[in-house]
Amino acid sequence: MRWAAAVAVLAVMGLLALATLGLFPRGPIPEWEGPTLAYGARNAVAAIVLGSRLWDTLMEVLVYAMAMLGVRMGMRTLPELASSRPQVAETPLLLKAADILIGVVLVFSLYLAASGHLGPGGGFPAGAILGSGLLLLALAKGADRLAEELYEPTLEGLEYGAVAVLVALGAATLLLGVRGQIPLVAANLFIGLEVAIGAWVVLHRFVSHRGEI
Amino acid sequence: MEGLTAALMAIALAGLGLWTLIRRRNAIWKLLGLNVASGGSILFLVAVAHRPEARPPILGMGPGPAADPLPQALVLTAIVIHFATLALSLVYVIFLTERRHTQDVPRLERPRRRR
Amino acid sequence: MIVAAGGVLAYFFLGVVGIVTGRGRLGGALAILAGVVSLGLWAPGFPEGLLGDPPWGIPLVGDTLALAFWSFIPLVHAAVWWSERRRPSAFHGLVTLLVGTCMATVLSRDLFNMYVAMELGSLLSFLLIGYDARSRAVWASLQYLILATVGMILYLFGVGLVYGTLGTLSLSRIAELSPDFSQPTLAVGIGLLVAGTAVKAGVFLVGLWLPAAYGEAPAGVATLLAGLVGKMGIVVLARLSEALPVGMVVAALGLFTALGGLLYAIWERDLKMFLAYQVVAHIGYMLIAFGLGGPAFLGGILYAVAHCLFKGLLFQSAGQAVEAVGERDIGALAGKLPRPAAWGLAFGTGAIVGLPPLAGFVGKEYIGAVAPPPFSWLAVLLAVGAAAAFVKLVPLFRATSSEGDWGSMGLLAAGVVGFSVWGMASVPHVWTMDAVGKALGAVVAGFGLHFVLRRRSPRLPTVSMDRISVAIVIGAAVIPLALLLRG
Repeated sequence: MRWAAAVAVLAVMGLLALATLGLFPRGPIPEWEGPTLAYGARNAVAAIVLGSRLWDTLMEVLVYAMAMLGVRMGMRTLPELASSRPQVAETPLLLKAADILIGVVLVFSLYLAASGHLGPGGGFPAGAILGSGLLLLALAKGADRLAEELYEPTLEGLEYGAVAVLVALGAATLLLGVRGQIPLVAANLFIGLEVAIGAWVVLHRFVSHRGEI
Repeated sequence: MEGLTAALMAIALAGLGLWTLIRRRNAIWKLLGLNVASGGSILFLVAVAHRPEARPPILGMGPGPAADPLPQALVLTAIVIHFATLALSLVYVIFLTERRHTQDVPRLERPRRRR
Repeated sequence: MIVAAGGVLAYFFLGVVGIVTGRGRLGGALAILAGVVSLGLWAPGFPEGLLGDPPWGIPLVGDTLALAFWSFIPLVHAAVWWSERRRPSAFHGLVTLLVGTCMATVLSRDLFNMYVAMELGSLLSFLLIGYDARSRAVWASLQYLILATVGMILYLFGVGLVYGTLGTLSLSRIAELSPDFSQPTLAVGIGLLVAGTAVKAGVFLVGLWLPAAYGEAPAGVATLLAGLVGKMGIVVLARLSEALPVGMVVAALGLFTALGGLLYAIWERDLKMFLAYQVVAHIGYMLIAFGLGGPAFLGGILYAVAHCLFKGLLFQSAGQAVEAVGERDIGALAGKLPRPAAWGLAFGTGAIVGLPPLAGFVGKEYIGAVAPPPFSWLAVLLAVGAAAAFVKLVPLFRATSSEGDWGSMGLLAAGVVGFSVWGMASVPHVWTMDAVGKALGAVVAGFGLHFVLRRRSPRLPTVSMDRISVAIVIGAAVIPLALLLRG
């Protein structure tokens, strides 16, 4: 069994390497400037993700949202471990600094989401950055206090509301042929919102049920 | 040659991940192996997008050839999907640890007791 | 194309809105309506078109395969909706999204779009299998998740190789280019695409997560998985063998799967696991048809549709029986079944072993009539084997109590009857005396074989996750190697 597995893994790697050697050197890429501009973007990746292949992106957003729903559902059946949660030392400096920093993080992620169609950035990195900002805040304040401030049912409504809006935006872009900067910016902002809330949900659920950050 | 090196590294990562997935008995280790292997597949797509001396595929980012934008968009999608499945499978592992008090795969899949 | 995509988007929208607002049941019902309306508007089919602008748009097509699947998807959804109507809203939202994903998968002809759709389908299936938070179901679901992801990683490598060589993801564009598929890059690439999808499709050995997952799922979910979701991997393999020269590999995988699934099904004592192994056997049958291509392709579509209906019926009945009695062993269940479950099992068994007027007969005979010799003999052998395996359900057909749920059973049974009538009308050339005699003979022979085999119980190797994962890696080495050496 062990030898069979070793031989098989090596064979797959060898075949892949053999195939990859035939792939290089790479040829020229197809024309991309025109289609990018047609969607009102300057970043070709944004034009693909939010324009031409929005069909893929919608399903991907659904994958993400449903995985977060699964995290909620799976965790709900487990006991909360309230007692084993570490107490956070409350230092005024730390709290103040965290509040200022989260402001900076929020502005930066908004910037990334809003300008994602013009340069590097986009909804997914923006959401991930905001999510990690919330992680930072949870480290400083304690996840429980942060959870009291961010009322979860509202967040849940916002998250799935964002997904529903994205599906509607997809219908407008793909079926009705709406083009331009506004749908791109809106899609990036809603994706950012959805990803950030999802990241916070995972973080909070894991903390409140496992008791550690 | 950076593209070829990256592609070969990606294949090595995938092989390592698969080997971990097969050989380890612990469910968390299996997930780690899976994550390394999926990292390999993502890096492979990035390497496919690479062109020598290329700039990012953004208008106004200077002269010269651009990297292929399509695999980069695919990578964005694949990363999110892999993250989502990893989060969900970790929740399931936590659930199983609570209920069955083990993360050992051969013990988790022991057949149902006949009544 | 716009209408079809709009139907899928309506499904997605109603599913998500159902989860947010807590009206998933209403959302599901509206979605069924939207699906029927959308199908009615694009019904004769549409030629391939790009959703999104070239060069990156996603090609969708409304061919016979898509049309056949779309025309019974609302029926299966309605049956599941009815059988699980007491479930909370989130459950119905998830079911709606899953059905919408299946509708999107059968339309797609884009390599990466099929990957995303398969991943979304698997993720939603994991959630539904583990919905009741029973630890065995959660384990089955986790195993499915890990192994399906391994398959999808292989698939992604295949996508990278094919895109890197040809610069396109559209299957019909690849077929147009008709490049030299024997060069190592493309041979390994398409081999990995097939190997990765085979894991999802439930091909024997690499896809043996399937019996556990289907066997542990709640009744309505098992109906949905066995009827609809399980076909998605097969649909992707069918699309691949339409456009790429992998038909013989797919057919060979199908042969292997049919024999292996049957071998495990014959001696299985657990009712739901038995049905699940039987699903594996039938997957093999469909793969043979899709892999052979040409006229057999249409037979594969016919059989896939028929299989969705009667396998859904069988899983629905089995789920109700197991939930009503609280036993899973076929011997322990005998004579304790409520009437709807017993009748559903009887009717479904009749359809699946291919008794002449019923649905299984049309598909089986169609494939048997057009397949070349080694495969057509095999079709007879498989019919005999299926009959032999199903004979042990006969003691379950006698009902003792009359309570139970007729609704979803009735819907699915009506689907089977409707399909049989349609098959009788539109595929008349399978209705020869010879074919009917052969089908009846196969059932009788299966009866005999059952009594021969009953006394033996060979010790089959147990299925474990480690073995399946080794099998997946071996498959990922052997399939590309076969394509490479053939070229």
